[in-house]
Amino acid sequence: MDPLHDFTLLRPTTLDEMVKARRKAPSARLIGGGTDLMVNMRRGIETPQTLIDTNGVAEMASIRASTKGFEIGASATLASVGQHEKLLQYFPAIAQAANAIAGPIHRMMGTVGGNICLDTRCIFYNQSEWWRSANNDCLKTVGEMCHVAPKSKGVCFATFSGDLAPALLLYDAEIDLAGGPRKRTIPLTDLYIGYAKQDGSTGDGKNYLALKKGEFVAAVRGKNTAGLVSAYDKVRIRRSIEYPVAGVAVALKRKGDKLADLRVAVTGTNPRPVRLEGTQSLCGGPLTDDVLAGLDGLVRDQIMAMKTTFTPGMYRRRVANVLAKRMVRKLWETAGG
Amino acid sequence: MNEQVKPVRSIGKHVPMVDGPEKVSGRAQYTADIAAPGALAGRIFRSPYAHGEIVAVDTSEAEKLPGVVAVVTGADCDVTFGVLPIAYSEHPMARDKVRYKGEPVAAVAAIDEATAKEAIRRIKLTVKELPAYFHAQDALAEDAVDLHETRPGNVERDVFYELGDVDEALGAADLVLERDYFCPEVCQAQMEFHAAVADYDPVRERMTVHASTQVPFYVHIQLARVLGMSRSQIRVVKPFVAGGFGCRTETLNVELISALLAKKAGGKVRTVVNREETFITHRGRPETEIRLKMGMTKTGKITGVECETYQRGGAHSGYGVVTILYAGSMIYAIYDIADVRYIGKRVLTNTPPCGAFRGHGTVNVRFAFESLLDEMAGELGLDPFAVRRANLLEAPTITENDLMINSYGLPECMDWAEDASGWNTRKGNIKSPGVGKKKGLGMACSHYISGASKPVNWTGEPHATVNIKLDHDGSVVVLSGAAEIGQGSSTILVQTVADVLGLDMGRVRVITGDSEVVPKDNGSYSSRVTFMVGNAAIEAAQNLKRVLVEAAARKLDARPDDIDVLGEVYRASSQDQGLTFDEVVAEALKDTGTITVKGNFNTIPESWGGNKYRGSAIGGTMGYSYAAQVVEVTVDEETGEVTVDKVWVAHDCGKALNRLTVEGQVEGSVWMGLGQAMSEETAYYDGLMTANNLLDYRVPTIQDSPPIITHIVESNDPNGPYGAKEAGEGSLAGFLPAVANAVADAIGVRCLDLPLTPDRVLAAIEGKSKTMKAARRRRGAR
Amino acid sequence: MSKHIVSFTLNGRQHDGVAPDNRLLLDYLRETLGLTGTKTACDGGECGACTVLVDNQARLSCLTLVGQVDGRSVETVEGLSPGGLSPVQEGFHMKLGAQCGGCTPGFVMATEGLLRRNSDPSVEEIRDALGSNICRCTGYVKIIEAVQYAAEKMRGKAA
Repeated sequence: MDPLHDFTLLRPTTLDEMVKARRKAPSARLIGGGTDLMVNMRRGIETPQTLIDTNGVAEMASIRASTKGFEIGASATLASVGQHEKLLQYFPAIAQAANAIAGPIHRMMGTVGGNICLDTRCIFYNQSEWWRSANNDCLKTVGEMCHVAPKSKGVCFATFSGDLAPALLLYDAEIDLAGGPRKRTIPLTDLYIGYAKQDGSTGDGKNYLALKKGEFVAAVRGKNTAGLVSAYDKVRIRRSIEYPVAGVAVALKRKGDKLADLRVAVTGTNPRPVRLEGTQSLCGGPLTDDVLAGLDGLVRDQIMAMKTTFTPGMYRRRVANVLAKRMVRKLWETAGG
Repeated sequence: MNEQVKPVRSIGKHVPMVDGPEKVSGRAQYTADIAAPGALAGRIFRSPYAHGEIVAVDTSEAEKLPGVVAVVTGADCDVTFGVLPIAYSEHPMARDKVRYKGEPVAAVAAIDEATAKEAIRRIKLTVKELPAYFHAQDALAEDAVDLHETRPGNVERDVFYELGDVDEALGAADLVLERDYFCPEVCQAQMEFHAAVADYDPVRERMTVHASTQVPFYVHIQLARVLGMSRSQIRVVKPFVAGGFGCRTETLNVELISALLAKKAGGKVRTVVNREETFITHRGRPETEIRLKMGMTKTGKITGVECETYQRGGAHSGYGVVTILYAGSMIYAIYDIADVRYIGKRVLTNTPPCGAFRGHGTVNVRFAFESLLDEMAGELGLDPFAVRRANLLEAPTITENDLMINSYGLPECMDWAEDASGWNTRKGNIKSPGVGKKKGLGMACSHYISGASKPVNWTGEPHATVNIKLDHDGSVVVLSGAAEIGQGSSTILVQTVADVLGLDMGRVRVITGDSEVVPKDNGSYSSRVTFMVGNAAIEAAQNLKRVLVEAAARKLDARPDDIDVLGEVYRASSQDQGLTFDEVVAEALKDTGTITVKGNFNTIPESWGGNKYRGSAIGGTMGYSYAAQVVEVTVDEETGEVTVDKVWVAHDCGKALNRLTVEGQVEGSVWMGLGQAMSEETAYYDGLMTANNLLDYRVPTIQDSPPIITHIVESNDPNGPYGAKEAGEGSLAGFLPAVANAVADAIGVRCLDLPLTPDRVLAAIEGKSKTMKAARRRRGAR
Repeated sequence: MSKHIVSFTLNGRQHDGVAPDNRLLLDYLRETLGLTGTKTACDGGECGACTVLVDNQARLSCLTLVGQVDGRSVETVEGLSPGGLSPVQEGFHMKLGAQCGGCTPGFVMATEGLLRRNSDPSVEEIRDALGSNICRCTGYVKIIEAVQYAAEKMRGKAA
C-alpha cells in the first residue's frame, strides 16, 4: 500500500517525557487514535518529521467528574468519555457528544485532545495529493486561493467539525497547555481563533488554534452550575461515521417558570466552534416563542453557511437552528420536572 | 441397510456458501493478497485535465529514477478496447486526447510502492485544453466540442421507438401527468479495490493475468487485442473477488495497463489502485434526467407512456448503448402496456465512464415510473396496489416489444407485501412517534432479466458450458468459467450437480476462474449465471449420471432403465444390495479412463427480443424476476431527515435453489437501492470527482439500515434450472420509488430528485423542490 | 529512515520484528508477515475492513503504526481459531453474514471484540458496536443474525 513519508515515532510513558520530547521537537505532532492525523498523513496533507504517541501516557487518560465539575485528560478515549457514569449523569452534553463521534471503533481509538484540536475540514482540503494538485491546491495547504470563497482575500473557510468542543464550551471549560515555553491554562474558547475575518486580523480555517510553538492540550476541565441541564445532538446524513452537518450543544437552567440560564454552542459550520453570544439576554422569563425567535436570530447572525462540505451551507445553518430550538424546548420540559 | 440410503437434496434449502470458510477465516485470497514474489509495483499516472489534446507526455525524469523498471504511455498501445465490438472507444492509456480528470495517461512499474509513487510525481503531461462538459445538456449544446470524432454531437446513442399510438392512447386517458425526475450518478463502491497481477514470461512469450474481474473471458479477449498477442498465449485467472455489482463487468484499464507494464518489464507487475482510483475507474450508474408522461383511466389502467431519458455516460462508450436501450425496453415486461414512446440519449461527457450497475438501465426509469404511478393513483383516489393490479400481465405472453414472459409471480409478490406490511389497516393511520415527525408507507414494483438472451460477444457458441470430471478418487469436479464474486454462483454449481446425482454436496468440488482449466463463460453480469450456467451444469450432471448408470447396469447385469440412483448407492431393484458410488465409478473408469462430460445451455430464439426498432434485442431474456416492496418511513418535517424504519419485499425468483443466498441477494439488492435513494451520489468540482472516498460517498452504515423482511415467491419458470430465475437485481429498483412514495405518504410532498438527503427533502417540503432544469443548473454550476 | 524493534503478542504467540517507524500495522501484517486476512477497502479509516483486536479491543489497523502496538496483544482473523472456525466465524458462515467476504474479516474481529465484553448483546447493541464497519453486499441483515448465532454459541460453550 502507499507508504507514508519518513518520520520518527516517539513513545513517552509519562507527561514529563512527553513535554521533554515536544520541547526537543516543537513541531512534532501528537498521535492518539490517528483517526484524524493519520488519515491526513496518508493523503500527504500532513508530513510531520516526528510523531509523539500519546497512548502510553496513562496520567493523561484519566477522567474525573462529580456534580461540581469535571477534569478529563487529553488522552482519554472518546469511548471512555461517552461511557463515563458521572459524565453521563452530570455533564450529559459532553458524554453525548463523545458518543456521537464517528463510529464505535473510532471512539475507542480517538482521544479528547485529538477531538478538541481536530483539524478543520473542507472538500477541497481533505483530498489526495493528486486531487489537490489537480485543483491547484488550496489556501489551507500550499495554494493561494480558498476555493470555497475565491473572492475572500487570503482567508480560509475550512470548517471546524469536532463534536466535543461545543459541549465543553457550555461549561466555560479551560485547558491545560503543556510542551510550550511555560505551562499555562487558558479558557477553551481562547483556543479557537478561526474567526475568518476579511481583514485577516485573527485566525481562519488554516490558523484555527492559538497554540504557541510546542504546546499541546494536556487536560480539559470545567465547573458545573447548580441546576444546569445539558444535551448534545447533531444532524447527519448517515447515522454513523459522520462529521456533523451541524452539531449543537445546549445547556440551560430553569427556575420555576423562568429561564435562568441559556448556553448554546454549535460546531460543523464555522472555522471554529461557536458559543453563541447573547443567549443570556434571552433569559429572565418563560420560554416563549419570542425567546426562540431570538435564538433564531443569534444563530443566523453568528453561524456561517459556507459550502465546505457536500451539504449546502444554508441547510446546515437552518438545521442548526432547528436543533437548537428543539433541544432548548426539550431541556426546558425535562428541567420542569 | 439400503432402505436408509436416499439421494441427498439441497435444492430449496438454506445452504451456506461452499467457499464461506475461506472468507471468514481470512484464507481467501483476493488479487491484492496473492503472493507474487518479485512482483513490481504498478502505478498509474492520471490526467488532471478534463478535456484536451495531448501535446506531450514526458516520462524522462520518471525513467531516470533508480528502481523504475518500466514506463508505459498511450504511445505504447494504439489498440482500443471496450465492451461492445461496435464501440471500442477507449485506449488503456489516453492517446492524442484526454477526456476526463483521472483518465490513465501513463504508468510505471517499480521495485516498490514508494518508488512507483515518486516516479508518477515526475511525469509531466502537457495538453492543449479544450472546453469540458460535465452534464449531458452541456455536451449536447450546438457549439460543443466533440469528445470523439466518431461520435458527433457527443451522442453515443440516440434511441427512439414508438409502439402502438401513444398520442391516441394519451388522448383516451382520464388523467395525463408529466413529470421530470433526476437521479444522480452512483458508484458500485464494492469493497475490493481494482487489482491485477500480470506476469509476462518472456521465454515462452506468455502472459498470465490475475484480475479482480467479473468477466475473465472478456478480459482475455481484450488482453489479446491490446497486447497484440494470440489468445492462446494468454491465461486469465480470477481469484476470490470481493464484489462487483457491475463495475467489473467489462475489462478495466487496470488489468490492461498491468499487462502492458509486465510485457515491457519482462516480468511480474502487481497494480492495486486505491479507493479514489477505484471510484475514478467508475463504470457506475449514470446521472439521469427523465421526463415521463403517462395516461391513466379512472380505474387505474395505464393507457400510454412517453419517456425521454438522458444518461450522462462519461467519456467513453463502454456499455453506453446497452444502458440506454435497457432504460427503454424494460418499460415493458412488468405491466400490460401497449403504447409506449421512448426517446433515449446516451451522452458523452468529460466525466469518468459509466457502465453496467446492478439493475442496468432499468433502475432510474423504474424510480420515475413507479413514482408517477403512485402520484396518479393519488390524484384518482386509487390505492397504489389497486393501480398495479389494474395493469397486470398474464403469463405466458409476449410483450408489445417482443419480450417473452413465461412466469410472472408479481401478483403473489404484491399480495404478500400488502399483507405483511399491514398496508390496508396501517396506511395513513400510523401514529406519529414525536413532535414534527410523520410516518408513511409506500410501495413499488420492479423486475429484471435473468441474463441477456443475446450475449455481448456473439460467437454462435452456447451461452454456457460446464464440464465435469470424475476420476479414481470419486470426487466430482465441476469446471466452470462462472465468476464467483460473492453472489454464490459456485455454491449453485455444487448444489445443482450434487442434486442431479443425489450426492452430498461434500462430494462435489467446483473449480472456476482459470482460463487454462475451465471452459469459458461469458461472466457474472445481468444475473445470467444461475439460469444459464445452472442449466448447463444440470445437463452436464445428467450426462454424467447416464455414464454412471450405464456402468452400474453393466456391473449389475441389468438394464440402465432398471437402475435406481440413490446418490451413494446404485441399485437394480429393492432387494439388490447395490453398488456404492465408488464401485460405480471404478466400473465407469474401466472403459474410458478419467470421465469428463459436458453440458451446454442455449437460449431459445423466442427469448431474443424483437426487431421492431434498432437495438430491440436488448431486454430479451429467458425469464424475468419480479419484486414488490413496501417501505415504512419516518420523516422529520423540520430537519428533512428521513429514517427508513422497515422494508417488506417479496421477490419472484422462479425457484429458490438456495433460500439462504436468495434472501441474502434480495436483502442486499433492496439495501443497495436504499443507498442510492437515501444518501449516495458522486459529485464533481470542475470535473474532479470529490466524493471519491467512503466518507463522502455515503454508503449506508448498519445504523442506517432497517430490518428487511424477505419473502420468496416461486413462479416456477418452465425454462429455469429447477424453475429458477434471477434473485440479485430485480429488487433494487423498486426501493427508490417505494421510499419516495412513502415520504409522499408521510408529508404529502413528492421528491422527484434523489437522493433523499435532508436538505433536498426540506426543500421539497417548502415547495422549493428542484425540477430537473433547476437541478441541472445547480449541479452544472459546480 | 527511523526503525525500531517491535515486540508484541500476535495471535497468542510472541512476535519480535524490526519495522520502520512509518509502517502501518495493516501493512506490517499483510506485507511483512503475509497475513493477508486483514483487508483494506478505503484510503483511511472509513470502512473498518482493516479491523484487528489490540488488547481485546477493536482497532483500525490502517490508522495504527506498528510501533504503537509494541508490548500489546494483537489478534487478526487468522488467529481466531486454529484448526477450525471460531463461533463468530461459524456464525458469519452459517448465517451468510459473509457474501463476497471483503468486509468479513473486519466484521468478524469487531464482533469478536463485542462478544468478549458483552455476551448477550441486543440488536441495538450489535448495531452500536458495528457502526464503524461497512458492508456492501448484505445490507447488514444477516450480519446481525450471524452475531446473534455466535453469541448464542459462545454462551453455550461457556455454560
